Amino acid sequence: MVNQKYRLSDLMTCVIADMLEDGETVFHGVSSQLPMVAMHLARHMHAPHLVHLNIPGGVNPSSIKKAAFSSAGPDLVESSEAYFQLDEVFDLSMRGKLDVAFLGGIQFDMHGNVNASVIGDYHRPKVRLPGGAGSAVLIPTAKKAIIWRTKHDIRTFVKQVDFVTTRGNLWKIVTPLCVFIFRNNRLELDSVHPHTTIEEVQEHTGFPLIYDEVRYTKAPTTKQMQLLRQLDPHDYRSAEF
Amino acid sequence: MTKVKALNEVAASVEDGATLALGGNVLHRAPMAFVRELARQEKRKLRVVKTAGAHDIDLLCAVGAVDQVDAGFVSYETVYGLPPHYRKAVQTGVVKANEHACYTVISALRAAKTNVPFMPVSGLKYGDLIEKNDYFVVVEDPFTGEPVTLVRAIVPDVAVIHVQECDKNGNAIIHGPKFEDVLMSRAANRVIITTEQVVSDFTIKQQKERIDIPGFLVEAVVKVPKGAAPAACYPAYDVDDRALREFLQLKEADQISHFIHRYDQQDHREVRGERKW
Repeated sequence: MVNQKYRLSDLMTCVIADMLEDGETVFHGVSSQLPMVAMHLARHMHAPHLVHLNIPGGVNPSSIKKAAFSSAGPDLVESSEAYFQLDEVFDLSMRGKLDVAFLGGIQFDMHGNVNASVIGDYHRPKVRLPGGAGSAVLIPTAKKAIIWRTKHDIRTFVKQVDFVTTRGNLWKIVTPLCVFIFRNNRLELDSVHPHTTIEEVQEHTGFPLIYDEVRYTKAPTTKQMQLLRQLDPHDYRSAEF
Repeated sequence: MTKVKALNEVAASVEDGATLALGGNVLHRAPMAFVRELARQEKRKLRVVKTAGAHDIDLLCAVGAVDQVDAGFVSYETVYGLPPHYRKAVQTGVVKANEHACYTVISALRAAKTNVPFMPVSGLKYGDLIEKNDYFVVVEDPFTGEPVTLVRAIVPDVAVIHVQECDKNGNAIIHGPKFEDVLMSRAANRVIITTEQVVSDFTIKQQKERIDIPGFLVEAVVKVPKGAAPAACYPAYDVDDRALREFLQLKEADQISHFIHRYDQQDHREVRGERKW
């Protein structure tokens, strides 16, 4: 049953949760409340054996309700099943055993390049961005890299990024307007969110959209919305909106 | 013999131009009291090393103490946003940003820990970071002929790590996530511990399997309760939301200076109180 009363943050969280499969090892980093909630939702829906990994090292924290200002805090260790810290998560990915990594970025292009570093010259940038954090080693080594970005405009989705922080096993990019999928060495349109149109997505994208047919993203279900309210009562999933 | 010393005395031992590894991660257990003391003592040309830094790096950039930053990520997290002073310093060419991939900071410290000049990193395969930074180089694996990326070792002159408990001999226990702090303590030439509490030798000995940094590696111990504030220190205190939001609005040098001096009493309490008394 489709729930009509949802917000963009709910939609993005549910779309991401649906991408995760039972039993997968999944990592998120700093400033990653939305995917953190999505992982938690997946664990309570269809993926009870999903392994939640994070920077502070808490394996499968039972609660994410204290992660108010940070998705890298001690609360994720406090309620966890085991301690497995960041360097070990990286090592795991290097040997091909990390299934999914969630990463950010500021600019993306049709070739699947990700920029989280600078706008302008690297050594004397016009804008210094926070940096790719683990992206440059995780996007090439995790089996599937999922990127989420709460902005979708022609400065974010460009023909060519200013700087290639990394590329590699990019799988999907989730935005407030659509989901992109990286296949055939290019960024293709996977689905358009229900509240928008293909024309609107194109208008906000700096390269021509590639698609065979227009599919619509599944809206959150009533069950998902109920669980979200329980699992994330303080609405951390909306922190970036 | 006790290793417990005063904050100003220990900070004075950090030389201009030193490579400094800072413990903690983003707004968690950052050694802020020590960082503020470096600012008060007007240190210059520091090279700061950390996988993911926030207020510590931003404050040092705000007072002009930094020459280079080696990090994978420099920013406050979502709710506090970007680090204004770090960005300005990099964008005006005052500070050189050596962008790493978090893991490459870890690899560079692992190289230092084992005293090898570099470390191969299997995941760093594509992109402009390899081309633009001289601390990454792609070579041919002598055994297979395949390309492999190397990261140059980073040997910190000093690691500064804030912990919850430590004895007077430097045996330190970290509560909650340890981040890269244990590795830093093995990679650096000198280790400085700042601690919420100095506990008795006996208390530490009773839980010796929990010691993260053994005292023989430690040069000095500084007692600074609230030494991570306005960052958080589990489980004692959370972030000081008001102070952080205020700092992020500051622009002028005298405002920054005023902000730092508001912590003078808190940071130097042990000198004014128990120790010298």
